[in-house]
Amino acid sequence: MNVLITLRRLAPLVQTHALAFWGGMLGLLAARLFEAYIPYLLKEGIDYLAATQADSKVAIDFSAKLGPIALGIAGCVTAQIIVTIISRILIRRVGVYAAFELRNQLFNHLQHQGPIFYSGYPIGDLMARAINDITRVRELIAGTSRTTMVLVFTAVVGLVFMLNLSWQLTLAVLIPAPLITFFAHYYAKRIFLKSQKTQEGFAELSTFVQQNLNGIRTVQAMSQEPYELNRFREANQRFADDNIALFSDSSAIGAIMPVIAAVSTLIIIGYGSHLYATDQITLGTFTAFFSYLALLLWPIREAGSIVTQWQRGISGTARVFEILDHPPEISDTTESDHPELTGRIQVRDLSYRYQNKNKDALSAVSFNVDAGETLAIIGRVGSGKSTLLRLFVRLLDPSEGEILLDGRPIQSFPLAYLRQNVCLVLQDPFLFADSLGDNIAYDDPARTTEDIMRSAEIAALTGTIESFPEGIATILGERGVTLSGGQKQRAALARGIIRMSPLLVLDDCFSAVDTETEEHILSGLKNLRQGLTTLIVSNRVSTARHADQIIVLDEGSIIETGSHDTLLAANGFYSDLERKQRFDKVSAL
Amino acid sequence: MTTSQRRDHAIFDADLPGKAMSFADLGRILTWAKPHRGLATVSLALVLIASFLAILLPVIIARVVIDGILIEHPNSTLPDLGLIALTQSLSEISERSPLIIACLLYGVLTIVCHSAYHLHRVTLAKTVMYALRDLRQDLFHHIEYRPSTFFDKVAVGRIMTRVTNDVQALFEMLMGVGMLVGEFVPFFIALGLMLAIDVELTLYLLTALPVFAGLTYIFRMATRKIYREIRNSVSQLNQNLQENLSGIQVVQLSNRESLNFALYKNVNQENQRQEIKAVKLETSYGAFMDNMVNMALAAILWVGGGEVVQQTISLGSLILFTQFVDMFIRPIRVLGQQYNTIFRAMASAERIFQALDWDEQLKEPQAPAVLPQRLSGEITFRNLTFGYEPGLPVLEDINLTIRAGEKIAIVGPTGSGKSTIIRLLARAYDFSDDSIFIDGIDLNTIPSTDVRRRVGVVMQDFHIFEGTVLENIRLGNPEISRSAAIEAARWVNAETFILSLPQGFDTPLNERGQNLSQGQRQLLAFARVLARNPEILILDEATASIDTETEQEIQSALATLTQDRTSILIAHRLQTIQEADRIVVLKHGKIREVGTHGELMALGGIYFTLTQLQFQDLRSIQ
Repeated sequence: MNVLITLRRLAPLVQTHALAFWGGMLGLLAARLFEAYIPYLLKEGIDYLAATQADSKVAIDFSAKLGPIALGIAGCVTAQIIVTIISRILIRRVGVYAAFELRNQLFNHLQHQGPIFYSGYPIGDLMARAINDITRVRELIAGTSRTTMVLVFTAVVGLVFMLNLSWQLTLAVLIPAPLITFFAHYYAKRIFLKSQKTQEGFAELSTFVQQNLNGIRTVQAMSQEPYELNRFREANQRFADDNIALFSDSSAIGAIMPVIAAVSTLIIIGYGSHLYATDQITLGTFTAFFSYLALLLWPIREAGSIVTQWQRGISGTARVFEILDHPPEISDTTESDHPELTGRIQVRDLSYRYQNKNKDALSAVSFNVDAGETLAIIGRVGSGKSTLLRLFVRLLDPSEGEILLDGRPIQSFPLAYLRQNVCLVLQDPFLFADSLGDNIAYDDPARTTEDIMRSAEIAALTGTIESFPEGIATILGERGVTLSGGQKQRAALARGIIRMSPLLVLDDCFSAVDTETEEHILSGLKNLRQGLTTLIVSNRVSTARHADQIIVLDEGSIIETGSHDTLLAANGFYSDLERKQRFDKVSAL
Repeated sequence: MTTSQRRDHAIFDADLPGKAMSFADLGRILTWAKPHRGLATVSLALVLIASFLAILLPVIIARVVIDGILIEHPNSTLPDLGLIALTQSLSEISERSPLIIACLLYGVLTIVCHSAYHLHRVTLAKTVMYALRDLRQDLFHHIEYRPSTFFDKVAVGRIMTRVTNDVQALFEMLMGVGMLVGEFVPFFIALGLMLAIDVELTLYLLTALPVFAGLTYIFRMATRKIYREIRNSVSQLNQNLQENLSGIQVVQLSNRESLNFALYKNVNQENQRQEIKAVKLETSYGAFMDNMVNMALAAILWVGGGEVVQQTISLGSLILFTQFVDMFIRPIRVLGQQYNTIFRAMASAERIFQALDWDEQLKEPQAPAVLPQRLSGEITFRNLTFGYEPGLPVLEDINLTIRAGEKIAIVGPTGSGKSTIIRLLARAYDFSDDSIFIDGIDLNTIPSTDVRRRVGVVMQDFHIFEGTVLENIRLGNPEISRSAAIEAARWVNAETFILSLPQGFDTPLNERGQNLSQGQRQLLAFARVLARNPEILILDEATASIDTETEQEIQSALATLTQDRTSILIAHRLQTIQEADRIVVLKHGKIREVGTHGELMALGGIYFTLTQLQFQDLRSIQ
C-alpha cells in the first residue's frame, strides 16, 4: 500500500470532519508565523539596544521604542499558544473520531466472518490489528500528517524570515543540513530495527516465562529448575544487551545531532561576524540567526524519522483494511418470509471440501429426518461429523448438494432466521466471562429465571448452580468461578436447550460428562423435545443408542444406517465400536 | 496443615492502585544496582562534566564573541567563567585572531560535551539494565521454587507480567530518574551564572517557576484520573473484542451480532469521551509549556534592556539570558513527564516485592536422610490423611504397602483421590510426617529434589517445552547423553515415529505439540522418564482415545517401563488394569478394595459391580 492509496482509504474518515481538520492545519500555519515573528521582534530590540551602546542619546526614547517590541513579543506568544491549542485539539479530535469509527467498523465486520476467515487469522493477530494498527492509523491521521505539515510550515516560514534578514548567511547556515537529514534518517532506521528486536526479545522473554510456568509441574517433578534458570538467564541477558544497544543508538543520535548543528552555529559565528564587521548585517540579525537556526533544525532533523512514521502508519492502515476488505463467506438473503418450521430435514448429495485440501471432508451424503425424530451421527475423529453440522447452520456453505428444511433450501431463509430455528451446540463449550445465567440465556437476555432453571435442570446443571452461593448470578471466567470441563459442557448444553428450536443439533456435547449423567440428560431432552427434531453427534455408542436413527460416517461418507439394534446385528463398524468401547471404558468405573 | 494453605493468594489478582513515591521500595531496588556502583559513579561524573560544558557554550557566543569581539565591550566585572581571558591568551600564544580561537573552542567543547553526555547515558543505561537483569533473574528464580500450592492458586499470566512488564516499568522509571540529574545540574549552574550577572532579572524570571510547577502538578493530577479511565476503557474494549472473537461461533449461532455490536459501541463511545478529554488537557498543557517560556523574552528585553542602556549589564549578557531561557524550564517539564512513569513504576515495584517476599515453600527436612545409591522401591502408606483445604480431606486413612518391584493399578471415579496420591509421592504438596515411607524412610526426611529424582512421574498431559525432541527428552539434564536419550526412546517404541519426523531427534516441537498425536506424546513422556531411570514409576494414564496400533505400542512400552521397578499406575484401560500385580480401588478418598483382578471379581464388591455394569450389554446381545 503506498501513500496515495492509504490517503484515499483514510479520506472518508477525515472527510466527515474536513472543516475541523483543514481549519486546524491553517491554524498551525498561523501559529508558525507568530512563532517566527518573535525572534524578529527580539532582533529589533537588540538592534535598538546596540545603537544605545554606540550613542547614548538614542536611549532617550527607550519606552517608546522597546515598549511596543516587548508587548509585541508577549502578544505573539499569547496568540501562538491560543491558536496552537485550538488547532491541535481540532486535528487530534479527528484522529480520535477516526479510531472510534474504524474500531466499530472492524468489530462489526468481524462479527460476520465465518470459520474459513477465522482459520486464516488467529485471534492474537486480529487483536493486534484492532489495538496496535488502529492506533497507528490514528497517529497517522492526527499525529504524523500534522507533524509533516508543521515541519513544512516551520521550514518555509523560518526560511522566509531568515532570507529576508540575510540571504548570504541563510545559505551558509544550511550547508550542514543534508548531513543532518542523512544521519537522522540513517539512525531512525537503525533504531526502528533495534526497537523491533527488543520488542521481539520482550515477547520471547514473556513466552519463555509463560511456557515455563505452564509446565512448572513437569519442571519441578523432573527437578529441572536449574536448567530452566540457565535458559532464562540467556534470554534475560540477550534482552538486556538488546536494550542497551537500542539505547546506545538513540543516545548516539542525540549526541551527533548537536555536534553537526554546531557546524551551523560556527558558520553563524564566523561568517556572521564577518558580515557584521562589514556592516552587511546588524547585531540583532546575528543574534536572531541563532534562534532561527534552532527553529529550522527541528524540521531538518525530523525529516528522517517522519519517513519511518509514515511507513508505520501506512502498514498499519494496510493491515486494518486487509480485514475490512475481506468479503463475508456466507451470503445472506433479504427474503422476509418467515414460515413456522417443523424441523423436517432432507439432505441431498451433500459434499464439502476445505480450501487447499485434495479430499472431500464430506462427499455425497444423503439422508432424511422426519420432524420430531432424533438422529445420531457417529464416526471417528475426522470423519466429517462436525463439517456436516456446520453446514446446517450455514457456518459453511456446501460445495455441492443441498440441505432442505421443511422442503426449502436453507439458503432461502434469512441467516438470522435460520439460526434462530436451527440451534447448534458446539463441541467446544465456550462460555463468556459473564454470569452463568446470562450465559445460558445468551441468545435472549430477556429470558426468565424459570426458563433458565428449567433448561439447567435438563442439562443436569442444577446441582452445580446450587453449589454456588450466588446461583445463576455467579460470574464465570478469570475474575469469577472456573467451571470444570463437564460443567462447562452442560452449561453450553443448557444454552442450546433453552431455545426450544425446531431443530437442535448437538456436536459431541457429552464427551466430558459421565455416562450416567448423559443418560439423565438424554431422557430429559426426549421428554422436553417431543415433536421437535434433534441431531446428536458423538463418538460414543452410549450417546447414540437411543436415537430413532443412527448414521455412521467414515471419511466423509455414510457407511452404515439404521437403529442401534439393526446396526449391532449388522456386525459392521458400529458393532465393532460398541464392543471396543465396552472394554475400554473401565475408567468410567 | 502448613501455613501455606491459609494464605490469601487473591492479592496476586488485585490491581494495585499505585502509591506515591515510596523511598523504601526505591532503596530496595537500588540494592540490585550496588554491584554496578562503579559504572554508576562514572556515569555521574560524566554528567557533571557535560553539564558544565553545556553552560560554557552559550557563554562563548554571548560573552566572548558578542561582548568581547563584536561590540568590544567585554565588561570584565560581569562573569564569563574565565572564557574571555582564555580566548585572549590562546589567541596570543597561537597568533590567531580571537574569533578563530572562539570558534575552535566552541567546536571542541561541543564535541567533548556531547560525547560526555552520550557516555553518561550509555553507562547509566548499563547500570540500570544490569541491575534489572539481576532483579529479574532473582525474581524468576524465586518463583521457580514456589510449591504447587502457589501455582494452584495464582494464574500464570499474573506471575508472568511481574517478571516481564513490571520489571520493564522499573527500567523506564530508573532511566528517567537517572537522567533528571542531567537536567538539574545545568539548571543550577545556569541559575548561579544568571544571579551573578543580574539578580533582579533572574528573580523576575524565577517567579515563573512556581507557576509552571503548579500548573504541571495540576495537569498531572487531572490526567492521572483520565489516563486511568482510558486504560480501563481500552482494556474493556480489548476484553470485549477478545471474548467476541473467541466465542464468535456462539455469537453467530445465537444471533447476538447486533446486540454485541451495540454493547461494544457503548464501550467504544466511553473510550472516545475519555480520549477527547485527554486530548484537550494534553494539548493545552503542552502548547502552554512549550511556548510560554518565550514570554520571558519580553521580560528580558524590557528589564534587561533598561540595564543595558544604563550599562549595568552588557548586551551580550542580555543575549545570554535569552539563551538560558530553555534551560530554565526544562527540569519542570521533564519532572512532569516522569510523574506518571514514577507512579506506575512504584506500583510495579510493589508487585515485584510482593512476589519476592512470598515465602510459601515446601517443608524441607532439617536433617536430610542419607539415601543408598539405589533404593529397592518399597512404598508404605501409613494412616495417610490429606486435604488441599483444611477440613476437606481428599485422602483418608490410607494404609498400604507396595512391595519393591510391584506393579499397582489404582482405579476409581473422578475425584476419588487418585491424582492426589501421585502428587504426594512426587512431593508436590506437604503432608504429615510418618505417613509415607520409601524403603522404610519417611518421605518427609528426604529433600524434595531427591524424592523427585527417585520417583519418575508420567503425567496425563505431557508438557512439551519449546525445543527439539531430544531436548524434550533430556530436559536439560546433563547426566543424560544424546545416546542415552535415543536409547530410552528406542526402549519405549518412540524411536520409529521420531525418526519419521523431518529432522528426527532434532525436530523442533512447539508448546502445543500440534505436530504430535496423543499417542506419540505419551510415548515421549515414557522416554523422558525412562532416560532418568527412577527407582519408582508413577503413571497417570492418558484417557484420550488413541488408535489401536499406537495403543499396542504404548502397552508394550509400558511393560518395559515398569519392569524391575515399583510402579503405580492410575489406570484407565482394562489391559493396563489386568496386567497389574494388584488393583487398588479408591472411592471418596478411601481404599475400598485391594487385590488381583481375580480376587476382586471373586470378592463381589465395588470392582465386581462396576465391571458387571460394563458387561451387561454384552450378555443381552448374546
